[in-house]
Amino acid sequence: MKTTRLKQQLMLYALLIFITFITVGPFLSTLFIALKSPGEGIYDSTLPRHPTLANFVEAFDKANFSRYFLNTTIVTCLAIPLNLLLSNLAAYPLARMDFRGRSIVLAIIISTMMVPFQLYMAPLYQLADALGLRNTHIGLLLLQVSTAFGIYLMRQAYLRVPKELEESAYLDGANRFQVWYMVALPLVKPTLVTLAIFTFMGTWGDYLWPLLNTTDSERYTLSIGLAQLSQNFDGANLKLISAASILTTIPTLLIFIWLQKYFISGATDGAVKG
Amino acid sequence: MNKKPAAAVGRALGAQKRKWSMKQATPWLFLLPSIVILSLFLIFPILKAFEWSFLDYKIIANEGEFVGFANFKEIFQDSSFWAALTHTIVFLLLVLPLNIFLPMILAVLVNQKLRGESAFRVLYYLPVVTPMVVAALMWKMLYSQNGAVSQLLVFLGVYEAPTNLLVQSSTALAAVAAITVWKGLGYYMVIYLASLQSIPGDIYESASIDGASALQKFRIITVPMLVPSITLVSVMTIIAGMKVFEEIALTTGGGPSGATTTLVMYIYDHFRNIDVSIASAAGLVLLLLSVAASLLQMKLTSKREDDLRM
Repeated sequence: MKTTRLKQQLMLYALLIFITFITVGPFLSTLFIALKSPGEGIYDSTLPRHPTLANFVEAFDKANFSRYFLNTTIVTCLAIPLNLLLSNLAAYPLARMDFRGRSIVLAIIISTMMVPFQLYMAPLYQLADALGLRNTHIGLLLLQVSTAFGIYLMRQAYLRVPKELEESAYLDGANRFQVWYMVALPLVKPTLVTLAIFTFMGTWGDYLWPLLNTTDSERYTLSIGLAQLSQNFDGANLKLISAASILTTIPTLLIFIWLQKYFISGATDGAVKG
Repeated sequence: MNKKPAAAVGRALGAQKRKWSMKQATPWLFLLPSIVILSLFLIFPILKAFEWSFLDYKIIANEGEFVGFANFKEIFQDSSFWAALTHTIVFLLLVLPLNIFLPMILAVLVNQKLRGESAFRVLYYLPVVTPMVVAALMWKMLYSQNGAVSQLLVFLGVYEAPTNLLVQSSTALAAVAAITVWKGLGYYMVIYLASLQSIPGDIYESASIDGASALQKFRIITVPMLVPSITLVSVMTIIAGMKVFEEIALTTGGGPSGATTTLVMYIYDHFRNIDVSIASAAGLVLLLLSVAASLLQMKLTSKREDDLRM
């Protein structure tokens, strides 16, 4: 009886480790390629024989990934606070105030969430061009500063805040803005983190819009720099592509490790409630 | 004598009216920044795309004649559109069953009482947080002639010589679908995990007392309890799958010879050829399909919320 239980446990762990190999394996193989020294063939061995950071240095210096890294960081660091602020401002009255036109505004915002980006990318491209926003950081930000998803997600959070808390603040003489900022906002903090994470992931890894909107390599984001680098997908370049891929992923990994609890609960927030 | 109260009433009314209009304006002040931005960069471009799909629009000249449904007619007569639609459907049919079952198995496994289960959850979630560009390139390396996947297929005896699945018409779409499934495993696992954890433990205990085996418990208790999550995962997979772009653009670019050109790739190709009216019309078709799927999701989600409330 006891041995079968132990056997079961061992089987279970073997299975779990096998799955880990599938989910994490591609990262390890990419990392190993990135660490290989210049003279070493990519497929000579799995592990790098003489591990070196030369490929990372080359990606940073010669392949201009320091610039792409900076561009991506700038855009992401602007997108997160802006989207949090504007989405919350818009979500609060949609959840908490009674006014004419509320249901129409809400319906329009929600219905835009169904529209695939590929439908309106051409008009948006033309508009960005007309406004002189091509090859600018602001141009890259357009889709991230206030999002229908963000408004919807935050509205759902405000709906769960008990009304009594706000009412007592009104009795104390606070105005609408103060009640939002001092009473309601602190109560939706977990959802704020979720939205920050969604915005981070959406902006950091965004590919199609930066691809359309940037032609100047000085304005490339990491995704675009990486895609451009991989146009030349051959043995000589694979180490560099691997190093650049790892560089692109490291910030997301660090933030994931830091906030994994929120990442994982955010998945169901986005799916079930949003 | 009479005037004074009247004036007071008037003043009071005025004050009330001012207060009332201020009250009316407040929500709009909150909404203003988002309304401006969303109108300009989301709603306006969407309306433009609607307009363009009925025009013979030249983006460079910035003008076009009204042509009615001619663009749609052209699309529906274009065999490559039907090929793209077929590829999209085949892609969904490949991804859907895998997205339903693999994450479910993962969720059940990490829901066991065991040491380090949270570490496994984190490791399984890693692909979800990886930028799609990186995921696509990593897999492109694994699929390459000397990459692990090709070597594994030789080892398993599927192929005699290392073969890149991405460059063969017969396997390219499935190879891309595998990337999508890999990327989403952890995400859908978490959705299942949330529902698994809401199943009361005493149901399992009483089943154990009645002598049910682990497999029986899975079939009789777990799967029925997961039905709402299964529908949710299905609809999310369909909506996301219809828009699949990066993994295709960065691995096969729609090739070989159009074998991985999905609806979105079809739109993108027309956009690149500055054929924006056709791209817009095809985008509208994609929208209609997405709306149908989204409405289904909303219906299922609201039903689910009702269930939870009960």
